[in-house]
Amino acid sequence: MIKTVKKLFEKYKGFNFCAGLIITAVIFLIAVTGIFYTPYPSTAMNAALKNAAPGAAHIFGCDNYGRDIFSRVMEGIKNTFFISFFTVLLGSVAGMILGAVCGYYGGKLDNILMRLNDALFAFPSILLAMVIIALVGPGAFNVVLALGIAFIPSFARIVRAEFKKQASLDYIAGAKLMGAGDIRIMFVHILPNILPVLISSVMIGFNNAVLAEAGLSFLGIGVQPPEASLGRMLSEAQAFLFTAPWYAVFTGLSIALMVLGFALLSEGISEKK
Amino acid sequence: MSLLKAVIKKLGIILLTLLLVSFAVYAAFELIPGDPALSKLGTDATPEALAALRHEMGLDKPFIFRYFSWLLSCLKGDFGISLSYGRTVSSMIISRIPVTVFLTLFSTLITVVVSIPVAVLMTKYAGRFFDRFTYVVNQLVMSVPSFFAGILFTWFFGMILKLFKPGGYVSYDKDLPGFLFYILFPSIAVALPKCAMSVKLLRSSILEEADKDYVRTAYSRGNSTMQVMYRHVLKNALIPLVTFWSMSVADMIAGAIVIEQVFNIPGLGRILLSSIQNRDYPVVEAVIMLIALVVVVMNLLSDILCKKIDPRLKS
Repeated sequence: MIKTVKKLFEKYKGFNFCAGLIITAVIFLIAVTGIFYTPYPSTAMNAALKNAAPGAAHIFGCDNYGRDIFSRVMEGIKNTFFISFFTVLLGSVAGMILGAVCGYYGGKLDNILMRLNDALFAFPSILLAMVIIALVGPGAFNVVLALGIAFIPSFARIVRAEFKKQASLDYIAGAKLMGAGDIRIMFVHILPNILPVLISSVMIGFNNAVLAEAGLSFLGIGVQPPEASLGRMLSEAQAFLFTAPWYAVFTGLSIALMVLGFALLSEGISEKK
Repeated sequence: MSLLKAVIKKLGIILLTLLLVSFAVYAAFELIPGDPALSKLGTDATPEALAALRHEMGLDKPFIFRYFSWLLSCLKGDFGISLSYGRTVSSMIISRIPVTVFLTLFSTLITVVVSIPVAVLMTKYAGRFFDRFTYVVNQLVMSVPSFFAGILFTWFFGMILKLFKPGGYVSYDKDLPGFLFYILFPSIAVALPKCAMSVKLLRSSILEEADKDYVRTAYSRGNSTMQVMYRHVLKNALIPLVTFWSMSVADMIAGAIVIEQVFNIPGLGRILLSSIQNRDYPVVEAVIMLIALVVVVMNLLSDILCKKIDPRLKS
């Protein structure tokens, strides 16, 4: 285990990779801890601490109901992290299957599906998600569904292009001669070869998912209260910007940090020598 | 001639795309459980009244028939009647279109105007302090969502420096300069992440071009660095950026829709959001169709622009 980590570090010695790894590790730790433990219950109100400034007891201060902001940020990071994770999982798996089938078989089906895909791709994913939420209603599960569907076109496009490139190579002809089935060729032979492309697009996708999730809940159509979510906290914080600016600043910074960590990480991986 | 042919072909694709989007949107909202006639009359309506209203709203006709009659009236600019306000959808959205269009235009303009000189300067000092410093700032700016940037602007420029009055939106038909000044800050907030991204793209695009043979030739003909940069390198380096910017316009619209909530601007975003929350489908459909139209037209424009910059792409 330690050896592989060491190897990884030797491979990507750059500053970007290390900084990204540290930030992402901290965020991940907070997200996982947020499942079991927050310093204060995230919904516990305390009228005496309304809009309290950051201090020793409440390091990020308190919100307009006297709830501990740090605990709520922790829970918000947890929600955003896991929603983004499942969004990317749904989007990338569905997009991969669609892209693989289209790229490998080609022909009429490919033509029709890709035309549809391009029409969707031209559309901003957060708007597409808004339309889907208009159909199915808000809530954490529906956000995953909406964003996951909205992310399919971008993954399908990338995977299709890669599959198309690979399908005409000699080793595929070789595999066919040996009698390998289409499914086996697609997922055992081609997939490992396009993994680097897939990984970098998954990382970019994760960042887009974090931003889109925060945007949706900022607009009030994402995760519903009393569950804490970073976007909704930010929109609540806006009303108290003058009296309690730290509420907005800490909440917004935690979104920015999440995005920054992953962006640096994917940057670091792509600049390997 | 070939340009004209390409445009005609592209127009065909655009029409097909719009047709697809319109069908998908209409069919999606058709799938939702619920009867518009029932929700309009309430549950204690008599079956006769219900049937009469259904007939009036055209709900007793087959789906495909309703879709085409909806599409036809959309083409005439009639998007139906809002379920929650009882007004025609077109009267509700028409005054809001310029607001969102201005926001999007401003942000796109800022992105283009700021990113080109910054990227050129970065490549001029490639590897030196300015380049590295801007690179780090760029990476940070890219990670800040535009609505958070908007909130920070409201706080810093609005509340502390008092440059503008937060929430003090003025309509464009009452006070145009005031309106333009008010949407300046939201536009910057929307533009920032895209600006950072285009700086990054343009920087690597310029560095890549600068290595090519024609640059050496240009130098050997006695051109100065500035001449080579602006007449040769930048022209080629901008081609991928034009595509990126045209694709960004769609994201800018999405960004504008979100930033409208931060700065309290009554644009398309506000109406889209409230109609999503009220399940006011005719309005949602109309706004989506409008945005789809803008997106495909922008794609067409960028295609033409790319071909104008680079004649090699014509074939």
